[in-house]
Amino acid sequence: MRYILFALTFFCLNQLIAQDRNLYPTNGVKNQSDTYYAFTNATLHLGQSISSKGTLLVRNGKFVKVGTVMSLPKGTVIVDLKGKHIYPSFIDIYSDYGQPKTKPKSVGQGPQLESRKNGAFGWNESVKPEYSTAKHFTANEKKAKELREMGFGTVLSHNKDGIVRGTSSLITLNQGSERGLIIKPEVATHFSFTKGSSKQSYPSSLMGIIALLRQTFYDGIYYQNKKDNLPLDLSLGAFQETIQLPKIFEANDKLNILRADAIGDEFGHQFIFKGAGDEYQRMSEIKATGGSIIVPINFPKPFDVSDPYAARFISLTQMKHWELAPRNPVLLVNGGVEFAITTDGLKKPSDFKLNISKAMAQGLTESDALAALTTVPAKIIGAQDLVGGLRVGMYANFLVTSGNLFDKETVLYSNWIQGNKFVINSENLIDLRGSYKLKVAESDRSLIVAGSIAKPTASIEYNFVVDSVDKSGDLVLSEGTNKPIKVTKRKKVKALISVKDQQVALSYKLMDAFYSLAGTIHSNSGLWEGNGTLPDGSWAMWAAIKTADFKDKETKVKETLKIDTSKTGSITFPLMAYGLDSLPALRNVLIKDATIWTNEAEGVLEGMDILLQDGKIKAIGEVLDLVDARTIVIDGKGKHVTAGIIDEHSHIAVSRGVNESGQASSAEVSIASVVNSDDINIYRQLAGGVTSSQLLHGSANPIGGQSAIIKLKWGWTPEEMKYKNMPLFIKFALGENVKQSNWGSYNTVRFPQTRMGVEQVYYDHFLRAKAYDTKWSEYNSLKLSKKNATITIPPRRDLELETLAQILNKERYISCHSYVQSEINMLMKVADSMGFTLNTFTHILEGYKVADKMKAHGAGGSTFSDWWAYKYEVRDAIPHNASLLNEMGVITAVNSDDAEMARRLNQEAAKGIKYGGMSEEDALKMVTLNPAKLLHIDDRVGSLKVGKDADVVVWSKHPLSVYAKPEQTIVDGYILFDKNMDKLQRTKIASERTRLIAKMLKAKLGGEETQPIKEKKNRIHNCNVFSDDGN
Amino acid sequence: MYFPMMVIRKKSIVAVGFVLLVSISALAQVQAPGELTEMRILLLNGKAHIGNGDTINKSAIAIHKGKITMVKNALLITIKENEYDTIIDISGQHVYPGFIAPNSTLGLQEIGAVRATRDQQEVGTMNPHVRSIIAFNTDSRVTATVKTNGVLLGQICPRGGRISGTSSVVHFDGWNWEDAVYKMDDAIHINWPRMYSYDWKNRSRTKSKSYDKSVQDLNAFMQVAQAYNDVKFHDDKDLRYEGMRTVFNGVKSVFVHTDFVKEIQDVIAFKKMFNLNRLVLVGGYDSYLVAENLKNNNIAVVLRRVHSLPMYAEEDIDLPYKLPKILQDAGVKFCLNNAGDMEQMGTRNLPFYAGTAVAYGLSYEEAVSSITSNAAEILGISNRVGTLEEGKDATIIVSKGDALDMRTNQLTQAFVQGRFMRLTNHQDDLYNKYKMKYGLAK
Repeated sequence: MRYILFALTFFCLNQLIAQDRNLYPTNGVKNQSDTYYAFTNATLHLGQSISSKGTLLVRNGKFVKVGTVMSLPKGTVIVDLKGKHIYPSFIDIYSDYGQPKTKPKSVGQGPQLESRKNGAFGWNESVKPEYSTAKHFTANEKKAKELREMGFGTVLSHNKDGIVRGTSSLITLNQGSERGLIIKPEVATHFSFTKGSSKQSYPSSLMGIIALLRQTFYDGIYYQNKKDNLPLDLSLGAFQETIQLPKIFEANDKLNILRADAIGDEFGHQFIFKGAGDEYQRMSEIKATGGSIIVPINFPKPFDVSDPYAARFISLTQMKHWELAPRNPVLLVNGGVEFAITTDGLKKPSDFKLNISKAMAQGLTESDALAALTTVPAKIIGAQDLVGGLRVGMYANFLVTSGNLFDKETVLYSNWIQGNKFVINSENLIDLRGSYKLKVAESDRSLIVAGSIAKPTASIEYNFVVDSVDKSGDLVLSEGTNKPIKVTKRKKVKALISVKDQQVALSYKLMDAFYSLAGTIHSNSGLWEGNGTLPDGSWAMWAAIKTADFKDKETKVKETLKIDTSKTGSITFPLMAYGLDSLPALRNVLIKDATIWTNEAEGVLEGMDILLQDGKIKAIGEVLDLVDARTIVIDGKGKHVTAGIIDEHSHIAVSRGVNESGQASSAEVSIASVVNSDDINIYRQLAGGVTSSQLLHGSANPIGGQSAIIKLKWGWTPEEMKYKNMPLFIKFALGENVKQSNWGSYNTVRFPQTRMGVEQVYYDHFLRAKAYDTKWSEYNSLKLSKKNATITIPPRRDLELETLAQILNKERYISCHSYVQSEINMLMKVADSMGFTLNTFTHILEGYKVADKMKAHGAGGSTFSDWWAYKYEVRDAIPHNASLLNEMGVITAVNSDDAEMARRLNQEAAKGIKYGGMSEEDALKMVTLNPAKLLHIDDRVGSLKVGKDADVVVWSKHPLSVYAKPEQTIVDGYILFDKNMDKLQRTKIASERTRLIAKMLKAKLGGEETQPIKEKKNRIHNCNVFSDDGN
Repeated sequence: MYFPMMVIRKKSIVAVGFVLLVSISALAQVQAPGELTEMRILLLNGKAHIGNGDTINKSAIAIHKGKITMVKNALLITIKENEYDTIIDISGQHVYPGFIAPNSTLGLQEIGAVRATRDQQEVGTMNPHVRSIIAFNTDSRVTATVKTNGVLLGQICPRGGRISGTSSVVHFDGWNWEDAVYKMDDAIHINWPRMYSYDWKNRSRTKSKSYDKSVQDLNAFMQVAQAYNDVKFHDDKDLRYEGMRTVFNGVKSVFVHTDFVKEIQDVIAFKKMFNLNRLVLVGGYDSYLVAENLKNNNIAVVLRRVHSLPMYAEEDIDLPYKLPKILQDAGVKFCLNNAGDMEQMGTRNLPFYAGTAVAYGLSYEEAVSSITSNAAEILGISNRVGTLEEGKDATIIVSKGDALDMRTNQLTQAFVQGRFMRLTNHQDDLYNKYKMKYGLAK
């Protein structure tokens, strides 16, 4: 027998000092090192397999042998771990351990247009690929201890600040010099969709962030190619030098994962995504990204819904997510998505094990949970040979436990990191829980010990005699003696207990008197004994004898671990009110005997049938036959059928900002990159007959961003909602918004501040775009052989100028926010001189003053029916505008720019009849065919014509009447709004809420911690909203 | 061209010719209010929507010296043509009492983005003494576009603070605020504290820490005001408390603005605590949840804009559209209003809100009441306007078609206190100007 050590804290620092000793001076005698340590007789958890009597041989902080039977070298320190389990320590690859907090530099009241960072770095403060975690790392023992106690041995740390965040380092949670703690200095590069501490104006929106990222990727390549001829840019240089490392993208939202993946695809990179734990809501799309996910397990606490009125602030999404979040890990397993677990976002350390067990109660297995904390994170970052397992050559990071890792009863004894022992709980813990007979002086009490093994709790039960009283509080008297009947009652009081190895201290208060006991535990016999002070201050002997084992809690634990998925509600698309359980199947639809507004030469047809087949309009005729038995037949008698409403100017269904207001031109940004399928307004507008919308950038700058044209396909993904071969549009804007007239006294810096300046912004940008286009044309016309020659470097890809060049090349159309005639006229002159046509003036409230010029130029107009007087530039707006433009032969539409108005665009169109005497058919075209023409989608939608998309509305009454309601709204042949389905949905929402509220109340009554009422709301946008709603 | 449907009989030619002349010459001018006429006018054969729920399909409505002198079924009486200077045949058309816009800021704000034109919000928390009437701009170009859709009266309200100030009820065809006023200083307006407040930084709404304190402050103010006004005359006057003087004797109404149900319940308690006979709830989005309680406590509701979005995604998507029907069924007295975004210019759509309420269940005549008689009762002017009844002011509109439907709302006549109101505004002038430019004018 060699040395058996119980407390091994001795060799704590030896390992690391050993590494340093040849390089650095030592104060004192050099340490003896290179000792072997053997951990024997433990159950080793080796990932896929378990070795019941395993031995680990460790030297210099690494495993040198792992196995069952082995010969140990001479001079080995042996640690006998009989009956104990060994697991690899956990790895958190989404940590900011040891990183400084970057505080925003305070700026003045005005906008900060340029970077305030000193040095030869890039132009945007939120892009800092040059940042190196290793260079800024300082060990933080307090935080390290917290993580070790959860079971972590290694973290991948980075500074969670900025859009491009630089490199992360792999760091152990050992003590000692930082030199030894960083086991790999440059492991991964990090990206996010948040600006962090940068106060620079650009980017101010999610789409701006996406554009900035894309441009940075292009610039990195360009900089590398042309480094010798460009001024030094340490940021771009570092970006390109680190680009081949694993790339971790903080997406923090299921749709953001898809958005980040699109960026990755563009550049042939695969990101690892940091998610939000909501991946289950779009599992198949997330699987299709091919990326691994780092998921938090900060499951929401139940809301305190005890006030039913206040409970209304909690959305169905919040409630359902509360219920479904613990299922996310097992659903990721089932969905075949590789994932690692992070502690990021956890409110307190004790939630870690609690939430792992919640996830396991939903079906996550121990081995999957363990993998997500060890082998998977190691593999994701390419550190599978360093950490995450019990394998030869790996760092000796491991946990010693009393049993299966995640069992509630299991005690984590120690966390070994690089061969150093960190004691978490004493290995001499005794399970004291149970019932005891407690004898103090003369009296008998019962002592109940409960809680956990590591942290027991105690209470004292005793009998006392009182007079009996009845329900109304009167004394119950004995019939014979007429004296009160005595009854014995049992009472329970809390006691304080502290245990250290064999020593115990117990104190409690009985009937206003204090007892304070100290003693020794004889663990074999279950007897405690010692001395204590009685209420009168005298000392007396006491003893406690175990009478029963602890049990009731154990059964409870098993109950919660029982896997029960039937209790959770369905995952709807989207996960919110009116979401669909599954996407509908495409069926054919026959609407019979209706009044049909064709918007074609046939005009309005009475008593006709219309057949929708395979998502297209198949036929319109007097009596049409069913296609098949599954055809849905709608009785159209007394009903009106029109083409679906098209909103030329909408801002719904957009994530985090419709304005990139940081610069005068933001042609590089695109609403198409931030379409949000989870907006209730999609459903509400379907209920108003809207089937297509152009989601426009706002009006914060003369050259805004690119549009998305979508179908309101409620339940589908953002990508599926977008038009195939979507016509390309960009928003321009004129007037008060772009010159920041109403932005307060401080926004007087950004060019332009006058209408005069606006014109010059256009000329400047178009001239630059022209030059850019020429440069690329020249390059593209080079012979292939020349292109391949290393001397010919392609020009810089500039996403902004490229977009503007598309306008010049007539590949992209403009929809321009406009009010007064002078500037409208100006922009048409700019377009004329640049050789393109201004496609649409939107708002165009003074269009009636230049209708002849618009007609001559070929511009269309998309206007409000009757808005005016909200700004100085709309004082001459008139509600007759649409009529007059229409009469002058300008293609004219009526739009909403408002989530509410879009629900009744038919009414807005009808105002054209009131103001200016438009014909009813023309009025309907204002919101159907004409916007389709303006959007260049009239070959697909906008009228009821055979072959066009089956985008159809069935109205209860004359569609231009205030009394008309859509009864069915059909998009691509799918009935996505139906008045009867809507009724069912309402019942479903009510019952689902009732169920979830009951469940939350039950959780609260069961003692679970709750969170206060907190309503989360998506902002409703119009083009004047300038903020990014993100975090 | 201004009275195309008018059939002129007998000796009315001269008088009406005068009106026409004024109208045409007004094209090139700023619109002026109509002039009071001594004429005896008869509106004949129009469908009358009385405002109290009744209708007369073929009505005979007589107007003289600013008052309605007769409302009868034309089929049941003999018309003596010589009793009238003008008989206007409005067969196939609709007659309504002038529509009323409560809780309005018309005339207080002209262009929202231009600070110099904003006059609705004073500095301070307790401003009952601040009076909207003296800032009411009768020459607002916005109001001119509202009245031409049939909205002839409004309650002009200050905004902001805890007690915003004192409103007055006016008509929209006056030379100055003195002759526009219908009811001077009709009510004070209280913005009830918010129990849950929105935090823009975190994009979330959480329980407000200051709610209780704010309610206590309001109660304390009310108590002091009450005590102050127990004394008839003060040498040292406090204008704020003077502004409260008629609140406690029930002359001035108290309009309390709030939407959330728990706040509404506190408002009901507040009414009881201070024994406020005339307390009206404004906004009242959640009023349907406590309808019985509101009814029992005789609290009427100036209901949140009908054309608005539900507050919560979970709610019925058409909840704001059908709230009028729900309140009607519950027996709560209510009227419609247009406060919110673009509230001044949007007031011209008030009749269409009533139309939407019809589409979502309200009966047509109930919808008419919600912008006429109900509003008049809630504002305390029902003895003079709100219905087409003998003895009431001749504040009337005639529409070519159904005035609650934008498709058919076309005013052919409008009277404010018996004066012919002009039916055009500067927007029509601009329209005509450019029609002429393009050669489209007929």
